[in-house]
Amino acid sequence: MIVPPRKRFGPLLLIAPAAILLGVFLVLPYLNIVVMSFRMPGQGTPYGPGFTLGNYGKFFSDFFYVQQVINTLWIGFLTTFICLVLGYPVAWQLARGASTFRALGYALVLSPLLVGIVIRSYGWTILLGNNGIINRTLTGWGLIDGPLPLMYNALGIIIALVHVFLPFMILPIMSAIQGIDPSLEAAARSLGASKVTSFRRITLPLSLPGIQAGCILVFVLSLSAYVTPSLIGGLRVKTMAVTVVDALIDTFQWPFGSALALMLSVTGAIFVVIFGRLTVMKWKA
Amino acid sequence: MTEVSIEKLTKDYGQGPAVNSISIRIAEGEFISLLGPSGCGKTTTLKMIAGFEDATEGAIRFDGRDVVHVPVEKRDIGMVFQNYALFPHMTVEKNLAFGLEMRKLPKDEIRTRIAKVLDMVQLTGYSERYPRQLSGGQQQRVALARALVIEPKILLLDEPLANLDAKLREEMRVFIRDLQRRVGITTVYVTHDQAEAMTMSDRVVVMFGGRIAQIGTPSDIYERPANLEVAEFVGQVNIIRGKVGNRVVSTAFGDVPVSGDFADGAELMLALRPEAVELLPINSGATGAPAKVLSSYYSGSLVDYRLELATGAVVNVQTFPRTRFADGDQVLVHAPSDRFWPLGIVA
Amino acid sequence: MSKPFFTVYCLIIYAFLLAPIAVVVIASFNAGAFLTFPPQGLSFRWYLVFFNNEVFMRAIRTSLWIATLTMVISGIIGTMAAMFYVTHAGKLKETVRVAMLAPLLLPEVLTAISLLFFVYSVGLGTQNLVGMIVGHVLITLPFVFINVSASMESYDPAWSLAAQSLGAGRFTRFRRIMLPLIKPGVIGGCLFAFIISFDVFTISFMLKGVGMSTLPIQLFDYLRTNFTPEAAAVSTCSIVLTMAVVVISEKVLGLRIHRF
Ligand SMILES: Nc1ncnc2c1ncn2[C@@H]1O[C@H](COP(=O)(O)OP(=O)(O)OP(=O)(O)O)[C@@H](O)[C@H]1O
Ligand SMILES: [Mg+2]
Repeated sequence: MIVPPRKRFGPLLLIAPAAILLGVFLVLPYLNIVVMSFRMPGQGTPYGPGFTLGNYGKFFSDFFYVQQVINTLWIGFLTTFICLVLGYPVAWQLARGASTFRALGYALVLSPLLVGIVIRSYGWTILLGNNGIINRTLTGWGLIDGPLPLMYNALGIIIALVHVFLPFMILPIMSAIQGIDPSLEAAARSLGASKVTSFRRITLPLSLPGIQAGCILVFVLSLSAYVTPSLIGGLRVKTMAVTVVDALIDTFQWPFGSALALMLSVTGAIFVVIFGRLTVMKWKA
Repeated sequence: MTEVSIEKLTKDYGQGPAVNSISIRIAEGEFISLLGPSGCGKTTTLKMIAGFEDATEGAIRFDGRDVVHVPVEKRDIGMVFQNYALFPHMTVEKNLAFGLEMRKLPKDEIRTRIAKVLDMVQLTGYSERYPRQLSGGQQQRVALARALVIEPKILLLDEPLANLDAKLREEMRVFIRDLQRRVGITTVYVTHDQAEAMTMSDRVVVMFGGRIAQIGTPSDIYERPANLEVAEFVGQVNIIRGKVGNRVVSTAFGDVPVSGDFADGAELMLALRPEAVELLPINSGATGAPAKVLSSYYSGSLVDYRLELATGAVVNVQTFPRTRFADGDQVLVHAPSDRFWPLGIVA
Repeated sequence: MSKPFFTVYCLIIYAFLLAPIAVVVIASFNAGAFLTFPPQGLSFRWYLVFFNNEVFMRAIRTSLWIATLTMVISGIIGTMAAMFYVTHAGKLKETVRVAMLAPLLLPEVLTAISLLFFVYSVGLGTQNLVGMIVGHVLITLPFVFINVSASMESYDPAWSLAAQSLGAGRFTRFRRIMLPLIKPGVIGGCLFAFIISFDVFTISFMLKGVGMSTLPIQLFDYLRTNFTPEAAAVSTCSIVLTMAVVVISEKVLGLRIHRF
């Protein structure tokens, strides 16, 4: 007797809502924005009839925009790098440190995530402003004469971005380190490796997946950050995301704004891919 | 009580059949074991009986009724899982009550049945514990109780003892077997441990590569294995070769009469279990094959010897440690001719 | 690195993480008219100003309303998707994971802009809340998915099979066995969804209708032109609100999570 296999559509119903949501409200809009970036600029309307390559032409011909993409990328690199340097030891301590410290530390790392990005950036303006806490304290102690330029420049933006995205670096590295069997380090020690060597040769390489994930996350997030650069950078230093939003909200240049946003995203994606290639882990396949 | 019949059951996951056209008839109240090496399709067969997997082909009947299209929850089976699968968020009592609640039994009935089954598995007083507060053996018994308390048509067990230590495993064998006899439930038991299958079952189904190699009582399987694979899987065996002539195979141990149609001149493989022979001092004057002791392994109740025959062949022998022989001793190996079992012609 | 040095290093980082938040909270009790540090005396004056500021109060109500709705929708869709991912996805597992995490990996600005154009081109516009809610659900979905699927990793599929063998149908298996066991993940995911929706800026900023605003948007607008400690009072209230949500759900729901 041949038994026809029972068809099971039930499980597909589980994924259907998410699939529809992502398909209609993520994939289609992304396709739409690609199309939008080739549309003619409009007169009094967001976009005009017909298609053109002009939006991209305008981007490449105006060094102002290219320069801005480069600046934004730089800010992204530096933010990522500083997050890595600051975050790794903390991640290690959360994963391997004394247990009393661990719960508290974990809460401390998570808690900034529970506070909105506007508020956190606002906190930095209080700290970094010309009349901010840091400058006043330093002046008060007589260490400096005039206020240090901490805000309205790339430095301030990077400080605040590091703060905002540090948890995103710490958490993946922490879980990567937690996933490493401590007996591997013990084995290395038993074979004669010092603490430092066993960290360098065993723990560090095995935590690379976490580093990779954290770096990509922080880099992507900082490229597209809008609130922090616009509050801290003010009108003087603009990152690409700020320019894009201004182009869309203030001046209603939808096609050009789309082209700018896509150029930024594509460059970012290229760097992420290069980074992925450079840090490919053969043992992980 | 239920009679189960499996007909030409096949399961193909897409890379060739994992279970290949097997047929088994299980009598009411019978305890059947599926025995075989890892990956031979035991679990797959059990899952098809339970209904967790659809059969690619074939029929499964409970008391003559085809259940292939009956979903698991309506098949009325009791199943014990390898890792017990006790619900971690429910106490022992809640775990036991679950199946009864699904059957919409009244509250007092549920209570009395749970009390009865707890008594049966000797866990009275443990009803408020959570699974993690129980030892492995206790969890095992709760799992058994949970499957039995619903009074299912058939009890299915997938390597239920695999996670227990050796001592406990032997205790549980007896426990499960006694319980099954008392309840009288038709039982299918999956294991890759031949001792377990032998001690517990009425009949054993030996499987290799998705096919049934032999179905029979434990003594059938052990003493009259269907082929070399079965013989080797269910215990140690010496393979003795010899030429057939005049319905007799001549071996180093003397002539062994064989029944069955074997052409004269064919070379035959005979199975000889290590404990089927007797070791005698070389000068005892009995009939047998002379041999030299290569090595011996003492394990308390038994001694295992590796012997080298005059032909150069090596045989393994197991005896009681009454008379001990030292390495290098010459001995006489006496093998009664009725302890040989023909496995087939050498290809 | 020696041990004390290492500990101090970590403490400095924790201080760095908390500093701007602490500063905002302290500034909110400033009695003066401007943000000065240290505060010129303590007072609740800016809280009073804030509570009487209908613009901010309306923004808070909008935010709470949107966050609640987002949490429910995202919680349901994300949990279902996680169940599919863990138990049924088979060969599609990696694809499903990447797709579900996509809103997190794609730049939020780009997602916001694309969605804005999209709601206009299909004629939805921004005057109803549909675009805004959809955006919030998109952004929060990955968090529900991550939390729920993580809690399902420790869920033994044999539990469902056992329940089934005992006669439980699909829905009973979910309600009596799976849901109680993955509840920590579901609650955690919903919490994340609520908080992120409550705090998210860019998506709301792009998709808000004329005259509508959420708390972060209102705060952002305010900060561009004003420097009074009222903003600090608003921020502090927002922080307290989110913390309260976390603590309450831990206390009320958490008790039952950790019992077994
Ligand atoms: N879901 C599945 N998809 C594809 N192949 C499967 C699946 N389940 C089992 N198989 C294959 O079917 C064969 C039989 O598997 P089964 O689990 O029945 O073995 P088993 O006899 O129970 O082994 P063990 O003693 O290791 O549990 C194996 O080759 C296995 O790889
Ligand atoms: Mg198996």
